[in-house]
Amino acid sequence: MNMRKLVLVVAALTLVGLLGLGAEKIKAGFIYVGPIGDYGWTHAHDVARRIVDEKYDWLETVYIESVPEGEVETYIDQLVRQGCNVIFTTSFGFIDGTFAAAQRYPNVIFAHASGFKRAPNMATYMADFYQVYYLNGLMAGALTKTGKVGYVGAFPIPEVKRHISAFTIGVREVNPTAEVHVRWIYEWYNPAAAKEATEALIAEGCDVFAFTEDSPTVVQVAAERGLPSFGHYSPMYEFAPDYVVSGQLVHWEVIYDDFLVKIHEGIYTTRNLAHVDYWWLLAQGAVECAAVPAVVYCETACVSDTSCACCCGCCCEISPSMVVNPVYERALKDYTINHPAFGTISVYDLVFLRHNQFADPGITFDPFEGPVYDRKGNLVVPAGMWMSYDHLITMEWAAAGVAGPWPGEP
Amino acid sequence: MDLGWLVSTVSRALAFGVPLLWGTLGEIYAERSGVVNLGVEGMMILGAYAGFAVAQTLGHPGWGLLAAAAVGVVAAVWHAFLTVTLRANQYVSGLALTLFGLGLAGLLGRGWEGRPLRVPLGTITVPSLAEIPVLGPMLFVDQTILTYLGILLAVVLWVVLFRTRWGIAIRSVGESPATADSLGINVTVVRYLCVALGGLLAGVGGGYLSVAYRPSWTEGMTAGMGWIVIALTIFASWDPLQAIWGAFFFGALYHLSFRLQAYVSPELLKLMPYAFAILVLAVSGFGGARWRRRAPGSLGVPYVRGER
Repeated sequence: MNMRKLVLVVAALTLVGLLGLGAEKIKAGFIYVGPIGDYGWTHAHDVARRIVDEKYDWLETVYIESVPEGEVETYIDQLVRQGCNVIFTTSFGFIDGTFAAAQRYPNVIFAHASGFKRAPNMATYMADFYQVYYLNGLMAGALTKTGKVGYVGAFPIPEVKRHISAFTIGVREVNPTAEVHVRWIYEWYNPAAAKEATEALIAEGCDVFAFTEDSPTVVQVAAERGLPSFGHYSPMYEFAPDYVVSGQLVHWEVIYDDFLVKIHEGIYTTRNLAHVDYWWLLAQGAVECAAVPAVVYCETACVSDTSCACCCGCCCEISPSMVVNPVYERALKDYTINHPAFGTISVYDLVFLRHNQFADPGITFDPFEGPVYDRKGNLVVPAGMWMSYDHLITMEWAAAGVAGPWPGEP
Repeated sequence: MDLGWLVSTVSRALAFGVPLLWGTLGEIYAERSGVVNLGVEGMMILGAYAGFAVAQTLGHPGWGLLAAAAVGVVAAVWHAFLTVTLRANQYVSGLALTLFGLGLAGLLGRGWEGRPLRVPLGTITVPSLAEIPVLGPMLFVDQTILTYLGILLAVVLWVVLFRTRWGIAIRSVGESPATADSLGINVTVVRYLCVALGGLLAGVGGGYLSVAYRPSWTEGMTAGMGWIVIALTIFASWDPLQAIWGAFFFGALYHLSFRLQAYVSPELLKLMPYAFAILVLAVSGFGGARWRRRAPGSLGVPYVRGER
C-alpha cells in the first residue's frame, strides 16, 4: 500500500467515524469482565443493556463477556471494527486499556464503570450503594438479638470498606452496642469461601447477615439456620423468601439510558466528556433498597420497562418493589428507639424517613454526616460536615462498631 | 477456648471435606491402576451441573446425584479411551478434560444460574447419637448422608484394595502392567474400571456441591477443588483410609482460614490451605524413599504389550 492509498484509507475511515457519530443510529458495545450469568455485577450490566436496547429504535447493542482485564484493548479494536461508536467497559481493571483506546479512537465515545480516568471522549460512571447499606444497617440493628451482625466482604478495598462502614453506622444508630463482625474472602466470586465465612460468623454468634460477593450463598446459608440476611446486587428474595429482609439492588439502565439519550441528542460528543462522571445514588434511581425490585425482569424476551405484563407467558410481572419483606415488618415496627433528631420512632418508620431524605433531589442526609469517629476513636468527619466524593472513594478507616480484621487500616 | 470452637470446626470440616473425600477416593483408584487423571476438576464441575439440572427437573436430589455419577463416568471413560486405548499422554488428556468440563458446564449452565434448587439434599440428625454431649453436635447433626457414606466407602475401598484379589489385580496393574498381563490380568479392563470409578466418585463429589452443600448452580462453582483432590491423593499416599483424615484435615484448615481472621492476618490465612497442599507435594518429593515407594510404579505410563 503506497502513501496515497494509505492517506485515502485513513481519510475514509475518519469520515466513516464522523458520519457514524452524526448519524441517528447509535451502536453501543459493552465489554464485560465476567460471564453474563454470574448473577452479580456482569449480570446486572447485561440486564441494563437489554432494557435500553429494547427501549430505543435508534440504539443497537452488542456485548463481549468474560474479557480478561489485560486484553481489553484487543476487544475494543474488535468492537470499533464492528462499527460501534459508543463503548462501555464495565470493570475497574479495564481502566488503562480503555484510556489508551480512547486516545487511539478519538471519534468513538467511551464510558468506563467505577474508574477515575477521563478524556474528552471518555466518561466514567458508577452506581454506589453506601446509602442503601446504611438503610439495611438500620434494619439489621433492629433485628439482631445477639448484638452481633455478620458481614462477608470480598476484598478490603475502599468501595467495600465504605459499604461496611455505612452499614455499621446504620446498625449503631438503632442499636448503639451492636457490632458488625467482618470476614474477608478475597474473591468477588467464591461460593465455597462465602459459605465457610458465613458458617464461621454463625459459630461466633452472628444472627443477621449482609455481604459483598457475587452469589446468593450468604443468603442461602443464613436461611438454612433460620437467620435473616440482606440480598446483594441482584434480587435474592426467591432464594429465601422468609429470610431476605431487604437488599441492595442496582439499576445500571438508568445511567445507560441517560448517557445514550444525551449522545443521541448531541449533548455529549467526543469532545466534552472530560468532566462527565456519573456518581449516581438513590436520588437518581440508579440503586434501590429492596428485597424485590418494582419490575421482575425475565431472562429472555420479556425485557421492557413498562408494558410487559406477561408478554410471553413467563415470569414477567409488574408489582411495586418490596422495600421490606412483610415477614419482618412487625419486628421493625415494634422496635422503637429514642432518636436524637426524631424522638420516639420505630425503625420501620426511620428507614422510610431516611429513604426519603436520600431520594429527595436535594439530599438532606448522609450516613457519614459528622461527627463520625473511626473505631480507633479518631474523628474522621468533623461535626456538621459531609464527606467529599474524593474522600468517599478513597476511605480506608473502619467505623466504630466494626469488629474483625481490617487490612490497610490507617 | 471453649468446646464450641472444636465442635463447629469439626462439623464444618466434615461438611466441606465431603467432595474432597469422594474425589480423592476416586483418584486413588485411578492412580492405583496406573492412570493419572488431572481431569478431576472437569468431572466434578460436570457432576455439579448435571446434578443440579436433573434434581431440579425431576424434583428429587437422589436423581441429581445419580446423574452426577453417570456424567462423571462418561467423562472418565473418555479419558480412559484416550489414555488406555489410544495411549495418549495422560497429563495432557486430563488437563484437556478439566478445561472441557469447565467450558461445557458453563455453557450448558447458562439458563440455570441464579435459581435455588427446589429439592436440596437435606442434612440429617442421627437418632440418639446426636444426643451425646460434644460428640453429638460435632459429628451427628448438620451432615448429609454423603458424609457417612463417604467414610463407609473409604473403608470398603481400603478393604478391596488391600485385602482382596481384585485389589491385588489393581495394584499389580499400577505397579507393573507387563507382569500383571503375563499373569492373565486384563490390564485394559482393570484400568478402564478404575478410571470410571474415579469419574463416578468425582461426579458425586461435584453433585454434592450443587445439590447439598450450596443447593444452586453457578459457573465455576468447584473453584479449584479438583486440584486439591490431586494433592490429597499424594498426601494420602494412595491409601483410602488416609484420604479420610486428609480430606477432613483440609476441610478444617479451610474453615479455620475464616474462623481465625479475628486473630491472624486474613491474607496469610487465605494461603494456608494451598500452602499446605504445596507443602505436601514438597514433602512427598523430598520425603524420600518411603513416600516414593508408595507411588504406583507405572503411574502415568501407558501400557503397550511387548514393550518395556
